[in-house]
Order: sequence, then C-alpha cells, then structure tokens
Amino acid sequence: MQRRIRRTAMAAGALALALGSAASARAAGLSVGDKAPDFTLPDQNGNRVKLSDFLGKKNVVLAFYVLAFTGG
Amino acid sequence: MLGISVDSAPANKVFAEQNGLKFPLLSDFQRTVSKEYGVLNEEKGFANRATFVIDKNGAIQHIDKDKDALDPTGAQQACSLLEHKKE
Repeated sequence: MQRRIRRTAMAAGALALALGSAASARAAGLSVGDKAPDFTLPDQNGNRVKLSDFLGKKNVVLAFYVLAFTGG
Repeated sequence: MLGISVDSAPANKVFAEQNGLKFPLLSDFQRTVSKEYGVLNEEKGFANRATFVIDKNGAIQHIDKDKDALDPTGAQQACSLLEHKKE
C-alpha cells in the first residue's frame, strides 16, 4: 500500500515536471490558472523587484504598458 | 500594483514623477519578461498593453489584453474577489 502511494507521488512529480517544461515551451500563451513566471526587474528608483517576493503576502496586479511617453 | 514596460529605468522615473505614480514601474529593457508573458509585440519591439492579476500563490487569476486592459474594471473585480477570498 505504502509503495503504491509512493509510486503515485512520483508519477505526480513527473507530471508536474512535464507540465512545467511544457509551460516554458509555450511561453507566448499564459492563461488563467497558470503559474506566473517569476522575474526580477529594476524599478524607477533602482530597486530590484522580484515577483516571488510577493508570494504568500500580496496579490499582484502586473500592468504592461506600451511606452512611457506615448500617452499610453 | 506593478507597472512594467520596455522603457529604461530613468525614463520610468521621469514618467512616474510627472504622473505622480506611487507604485513601482519596472523596466523590462531586455524584453525577456514581456516575451515570457506573451505580450511582446515582436514587430515593434515593445510590450502590448496587458494586465495580469496574480494571487498570493503565484497563480494567474485574471488577464486583460489590448483594449480590454485600458478598462481596469475587470482587473479590479478580480482583485476584490481575491481580497474576499483571503482568510
């Protein structure tokens, strides 16, 4: 019984790995429910902002905008 | 709230100051993040307008793209749903 549980867990792990690589392969199509790809980028004051720093703390609204000087 | 564009950090600083923005404006100068989120306009080299709402577990809960992203209603609704969901 225990062995079966372990095998199931391993299969789930392998599936998660497969899904993970599939997700990065089709980078251009994120959908609701997908894990948001992590990133670290500099803000306007030179601080490095890491998406995963908000994990477990805050919901994040990530707004992509076109260009700062196009009224966009 | 995080803003993100392909502008340089100094350009974002001026933009934030001129518009009195208090949230971080991130510079995706290398376009890697825009690409990863599928919002990079390869032809023009900048990110299309898009809004992603990401919950505390790092899962995407709402996506608005292009014209839809001009109207924050959808994103706001998604946020308030998340707020109510917590605890």
